[in-house]
Amino acid sequence: MQSYNACIADMNKPVVPYLGEFEYAVLLSVLQVEGAYAVPIRRVLEERTGRPVTRGALYTALERLEAKGCLRSRMDDASGERGGRARRYFNVTPAGLRALKSTHAVLANLTRGLEAILEKP
Amino acid sequence: MTSPSTPPALAERILSWLIRDRDWRDSIVGDLREEFAESSRRDGLRRARRWYWREALTIGMRALITRGAARRARTRWPLDAAEIESSRSWRAGFARDLRHAVRAVARRPATSLVVVASLALTLAANSSIFALVDALVLRPFRFPGVERLVVIVSSNPQDAFVDRESVAPADFRAWRSESHTLTNLSAAEWWDANLSGTDKPEQVAGFRVTADFFKAFQIQPMLGRDFVRGEETPGQHRRAILGYRLWIRQFGGNPGVVGQAVHIDGEPYEVVGIAPKGFAIPDGAEIWAPLAYSPDEWNNRRRGFLVVSGRLQNGVSLDRARAEIESIVARQRREYPDTNQARMVAVLDFQRGMADPGAGPFMSVVQAAGVLLLLIACANIANLLLARGGERAQEYAVRLALGAGRGRLAGQTILEGSILAVIAVIISVPLAWAALDVSRASIPASVIRFVPGLDFMRISPELFLVMLAMAAGATLAFTLFPALQAARIGISLALGQNSRTLTSSRERHWLRSTLAASQMALTLALLFGSVLLTATAYRAINGMFGFDKHNLLVARVVLPERPYAEADRRRQFVTTVTDRMRAIPAVSAVAMVSNLPYSGGNATRGFWPEGVTVKDREVRQVDYRRVSLDYFDTMRIPLLAGRDFSNGDRAGTEAVAIVSRSLAERYWPGASPLGRRFRITADGEWTTIVGVVGDVLHDWFQQRRAPTVYRPLAQDAPLSVAFVARTVGDPSNVAGDLRRAAAAADPDQPVIELKSMEDVIQDRTAGIAFIARALRVVGLIAFVLAITGLYSLMAFMTSRRTQEIGVRMALGATWWQVMRLATAQAVRITIAGLVVGAVMSAVLGRVLESVLLGGVSNNLSQLGMLTGLMATVALTAAYLAARRAASIDPTLALRAE
Repeated sequence: MQSYNACIADMNKPVVPYLGEFEYAVLLSVLQVEGAYAVPIRRVLEERTGRPVTRGALYTALERLEAKGCLRSRMDDASGERGGRARRYFNVTPAGLRALKSTHAVLANLTRGLEAILEKP
Repeated sequence: MTSPSTPPALAERILSWLIRDRDWRDSIVGDLREEFAESSRRDGLRRARRWYWREALTIGMRALITRGAARRARTRWPLDAAEIESSRSWRAGFARDLRHAVRAVARRPATSLVVVASLALTLAANSSIFALVDALVLRPFRFPGVERLVVIVSSNPQDAFVDRESVAPADFRAWRSESHTLTNLSAAEWWDANLSGTDKPEQVAGFRVTADFFKAFQIQPMLGRDFVRGEETPGQHRRAILGYRLWIRQFGGNPGVVGQAVHIDGEPYEVVGIAPKGFAIPDGAEIWAPLAYSPDEWNNRRRGFLVVSGRLQNGVSLDRARAEIESIVARQRREYPDTNQARMVAVLDFQRGMADPGAGPFMSVVQAAGVLLLLIACANIANLLLARGGERAQEYAVRLALGAGRGRLAGQTILEGSILAVIAVIISVPLAWAALDVSRASIPASVIRFVPGLDFMRISPELFLVMLAMAAGATLAFTLFPALQAARIGISLALGQNSRTLTSSRERHWLRSTLAASQMALTLALLFGSVLLTATAYRAINGMFGFDKHNLLVARVVLPERPYAEADRRRQFVTTVTDRMRAIPAVSAVAMVSNLPYSGGNATRGFWPEGVTVKDREVRQVDYRRVSLDYFDTMRIPLLAGRDFSNGDRAGTEAVAIVSRSLAERYWPGASPLGRRFRITADGEWTTIVGVVGDVLHDWFQQRRAPTVYRPLAQDAPLSVAFVARTVGDPSNVAGDLRRAAAAADPDQPVIELKSMEDVIQDRTAGIAFIARALRVVGLIAFVLAITGLYSLMAFMTSRRTQEIGVRMALGATWWQVMRLATAQAVRITIAGLVVGAVMSAVLGRVLESVLLGGVSNNLSQLGMLTGLMATVALTAAYLAARRAASIDPTLALRAE
């Protein structure tokens, strides 16, 4: 049932999903981290953006990105410290990469010609 | 055991519960554990736990919100729906049905609101009424073994009001010695005990009882001892058992008072015991003394005034005891035809026999109103839910087509009903609480003594369950019907139907109209009942009394028998008090009377007019009053003929009396009664009538003015007296003066019931005023329910005909024709409902008349007015609904789907 629904959903989706700003950041962080699950993803996000990131927002974004097909997850590695609960590891899918690239390109397009202003200290 | 590295278990539980997806739950809870371990290493356990709570709650709330949002946003695929509808998994189905039901309830907020409000109000009214009936009528006494106790009364068991102070001493003696089915048969006589010698003399509610009285209840005094048989003889009887509250109030709970003497009625009584806490039988008694009669007094079979109670022997049924006592009474009838020939007997269970005698009939009126209200609410709910069910025929058909079982559809409808019922019950509980509080507060302090069971007036868990069952029953019955219909419907038929081809089935249409009409009928009857009772209560409180109730201070004194055995001492007491009162500037007139109107007590005598031979049994009883000089002036009772009493009427002179107008008219119609003579016993002295005064209403439920004889204090001095003082300004200002005047006449003599005449009337009419108030509330709720019901039905019916109306308007129908079309149904329903309602009202008026002892007068003009009011409001509702239909643009109406 799930696969059937997913198939229909894929058919009806735009080929390149649109990414919000936070989703864009989350997707990039997933790429940055080796063995990406929520805890290190959030750490990287906070370090690199310099802003506090609430856990709830991160989980919501991860769920939404997965629903959009930009992320794929697997459950693995239930260590004792986690009370026997598995980690959810995330990978960026080809579709996610395409979305990243397209967003990146849009931004690059928009920044072209503004280097003088944007790169001034 | 919580190890240092595990997070707060409760927070984790909440979080787990809030995140429904299993994988997400595992991973998030795991992540938090991981971070918690780190945090507790870094910041310490306390801060880590605080951190965990904060995070768990914010993540959980967020999950809750996004879950809702995701569901709303989710696209529904046709095959997905089919898969769900045909799913045979009970649990999945139930969860889905529940969601469906909640959504269905929430999507029609107006209908749901009306259903819930109708149900909640009705339940609150009914459950508070039930709590009242249970506490005051069904089970006012709750102690072990109460079901084995009986009360025997010498009055007609068919009488609405049980008169338990009705047994003659000789009758009681015979029962006690002859009965084998009853044990500890005991008698009690009303006793106003004047307690003095304490800091604050007071009159205590007391009873003189035979020695077995306490044994019948199987209770022992908590201190001291019970009475013994030997104390039933005169001379040995000066013993008393104090009630717990009296003991605390007057003696500070000092156990040393047992064995000591206290002053009661001017004589020393030895306190032999203290009754256990909470025991106050009968009539809220607080002191008991042995009943000691001389042999002569025991042989009295003429007058009945004893309260008789006893306990069934082991293994004996109430019916057997009843049969035995009835056979004894039948024999007494044969043996003493002079006195016992017309005597009745009733062996009652204790709850009925000892309860407030007025509570039964009064509460039955309120309870009947509650049941009517329940019926009205049911009709209302049924109508709304039927309408809703019809509206949803298509939805059901679609779901049937997709493979949903018919049982599932029915189940879902039932679920919807249950949700409404549960919400209604939750709302109704605080409402019922409030209603009970108001009821409790509306019972005046002076009446509380006679209302046993007041402490049990509350919403018990059992009652809550009953409410729940009632609510569930009401909604289930009416949700089930459309569901069954839905299950019966043919799919293709329903799918083919839309509002153009389906007005609604004839059967359902008829059902709804009948429901609306019966609702109108019931409401009219209920409103009429409440108007009748309101009018009765108004008349009882503000009506024509025959005297002026304003600016009148009254006080009652019961003089003890022994110190006041001589009539002269009684007269002297009265004269001292009235003389002192008269000296007060704020008092314009003062007098004394033996039985104050509206005080609840009465005294009657036989009436033998001169020149007429009447047999003992045919003698008319007349009200009998002893009054001091100036009584008629003080009360402002008009003197119609003859003269008032004067100082010339004294003990030695000719016996004189003044009679009321009704008495004069009954015995000497068209002739002057002045100078005529009568006797109050067959062989008594002749009394001459010297004056006629206006009639006085002695009690609220007496419609006819009772014939009354007034005798002067100088020739007949009573023990129980009431003073009345006409005051200038607020009567309570001179209350202290009256108390001091009584104390000057006899310092041991407490004054009771010192209050204004208006308060006396208010206390006496508290019962009827309470019912009237309760019925007004119930009637108002019913009225609102009926009108909303009718309006919603009209609105629904016209909305279903929107297209038809559009077609007609497009074809040139005028506004007026459309209005007539749309309101015709309402007019028919209204007329049918009101005709039936009027008939029901007339019957109800008769019933009320008989239940409330004729205190209610059936008034047809009120019925006419109410019918008019109902018709106006109902037709206005129909008009508003129709106007909306008629104002529709025809093109829009045609397109409406």
